[in-house]
Amino acid sequence: MDIFLQACVNGLLMGGFYSLMGMGQNVIFGVMKIVNFCHGEMLMVGMYLTYVLSTTFSLDPYLCVPLVAIIMFFLGALIQHTLITPSLGTKSFTNLLFLTVGLGLLLSNGALVLFGSEYRTIPTSYQQTFISLGPVNIALPRLISFCVLIVITIVLFAFLKYTTTGKQIRAVSQNPVGAEVVGINTKRIYILTYGIGTALAGIAGALLTGFYTIFPTAGASFGFRALIVVVVGGLGSIPGAFFAGIFLGLLETMVALFVSPSYSDLIVFITFIVILVVRQLIILRRK
Amino acid sequence: MKKSISLFFIVLTIAVLMVSAAFADEEPIRIGTIYAMSGGNAAIGENILRGIDFAVAEINAKGGVNGRMLEVVRGDHAGDPAQGRSEAERLITQEHVDVMMGCHMSTVTEVVAQVCTQYGVPMITAISTLDRLTDADHEDMDFFFRLCPLNSVYVEDMLKYLKDSAEQTGQEIKKIAIFTDRAAIGQELIRCVELFAADYGFDVVAVVDYSSNATDLSAQVLALKQADPDAILCDSYIGDATLFVQTLKAQNYIPKMIVAKANGFTDPAFIANLGAAANGVASVVEFNPDLINGQEINEEFKAQYGVNMNGHSAESYTVVWIFKTAIEAAGSTDGEAVRDALAALDIQGEFPGGRKIVLPYDRIKFENYELAGAPHYRDNTSASVAIAQVQDGEWKTVWPFSFTDTQILYPAPLQ
Repeated sequence: MDIFLQACVNGLLMGGFYSLMGMGQNVIFGVMKIVNFCHGEMLMVGMYLTYVLSTTFSLDPYLCVPLVAIIMFFLGALIQHTLITPSLGTKSFTNLLFLTVGLGLLLSNGALVLFGSEYRTIPTSYQQTFISLGPVNIALPRLISFCVLIVITIVLFAFLKYTTTGKQIRAVSQNPVGAEVVGINTKRIYILTYGIGTALAGIAGALLTGFYTIFPTAGASFGFRALIVVVVGGLGSIPGAFFAGIFLGLLETMVALFVSPSYSDLIVFITFIVILVVRQLIILRRK
Repeated sequence: MKKSISLFFIVLTIAVLMVSAAFADEEPIRIGTIYAMSGGNAAIGENILRGIDFAVAEINAKGGVNGRMLEVVRGDHAGDPAQGRSEAERLITQEHVDVMMGCHMSTVTEVVAQVCTQYGVPMITAISTLDRLTDADHEDMDFFFRLCPLNSVYVEDMLKYLKDSAEQTGQEIKKIAIFTDRAAIGQELIRCVELFAADYGFDVVAVVDYSSNATDLSAQVLALKQADPDAILCDSYIGDATLFVQTLKAQNYIPKMIVAKANGFTDPAFIANLGAAANGVASVVEFNPDLINGQEINEEFKAQYGVNMNGHSAESYTVVWIFKTAIEAAGSTDGEAVRDALAALDIQGEFPGGRKIVLPYDRIKFENYELAGAPHYRDNTSASVAIAQVQDGEWKTVWPFSFTDTQILYPAPLQ
């Protein structure tokens, strides 16, 4: 029972990251209908950014989070404005596929050149601090990260729901032509959404540095899980992505606990395929 | 008159022959080396070449081999077997190397060894550990010898260490678990442990694996915690090794013994990243600066290169000395003669005119033998690894007991 509770908490804490990654991916997909294949690499950039900020200014990695979010937002906006918006005009999916995949390769190889292949960590005084809640043990950095990402989720949700810009983003996501007709500057919204998506990935990266190693290909496994989250949670749906992320985290740990850690990836992907097929069937039935 | 002219020519010819023979004697003995000097593994190649250069300088300073100096001719395989083959051909046919050393990656070593056998050039690998390089399929590669222990010997030594540890800890190990990467390195560990576990009376209670660069290892750690083994054997890349030790602490599980098959656990970043949390983790090492026979050479090596001698530099250093001893015994650099000398070589304790063996064993002899029922050829059957443990943030040799004074830290504190 103790182990079961511990596994639940582990799944929840890890699922939070998958949620954050999935939500970033989904914001972008919802508005532009493009799959951002360099989302994982953006997380990696966020990690290195945190590393550079915290080592040069001896800042606590968690204090770097707002800074990283801002820098990543502008990086995303720049990429959108100079690279993605021009490609959107071509209406070619393959063009954007190659663009984002290529960008991902560029970023991870760029990190390799700049920082080398070493695995780095940011040492903190509370790295080895653990909180015991009855039978459950939680590493302090993971707990802080989880709290921060809950706050981020709420803020993001409120932003999209209640602010004018948020409403504009949702309008463009539902009907870009209609949005343009009513006077919304869609190009501006594109820049904004890609910036927000990138910032979310950057935040996830910054939060990860508290307990994860930093290396040039660190984003790959997270980027891949973000795609699963998006598909399971529904393309474009923010709450869907949030719950799908938590679900994925729990599924991984539960399979590992009740079946075997060796099968956890296998079963996760089988579930993923089953959900895809079932959903497709339901949609067809409705039509 | 005619007679005296022909006599003159005969004398002249003999003189020319003698002079050229004398000059030939002055020619250096050429050692070909094929390692990665570019690409992702260049850093490994550099450590190996340092060991070789160090030995060559030492031998040349003492007057060389049979009065001839040693010279190193470097080839670069860049991690690619095809390039390894062409470099081997170039070194043999154009650079006329007398003997060959290589490589870092076993797949490249295999190809280069085939080329060397074809041309009759004796070759020793210092560090290629893949078992199959010397198995029945390679029986006819009879110019190829291996100094380092095989992969399965690495694992067998880990088990020997667990067995012997009871002497110091007073706790006999019975249940062991394996924690490793799902990739080839992990499968190899699992295979070897299963090969030997029964011989040592160990019961494998859990095999826990994960995909490289895992996002989370808490489920794996919980599985280990449930199995509650006396010792955990592992093989991981550096990122996963770091995450593993951190996760152990986060899940409130402190295994009494962790023994790793080097790899990520001996990466310099491991201790740097984990700090005190690494204390107590043990690993296989081919060489460690505090080994009784390694301390002196490490001081000299460090003075020259600014870094400690590592396993790769120590093993390649030793291979140069083996070639020296074999060529002296053969009396020439003729390929077959050197090969026969290598096959007959038996170095006990120290090299003639050189140091004690700097590695954690005291004999070098290439033999044909059986390993776990399968025949193997021309391996150094005395080769063994040492086990080092992180103590106060430093790797300290703890096994074999005769090569160190340091005691095992038990149970592993991880803080």
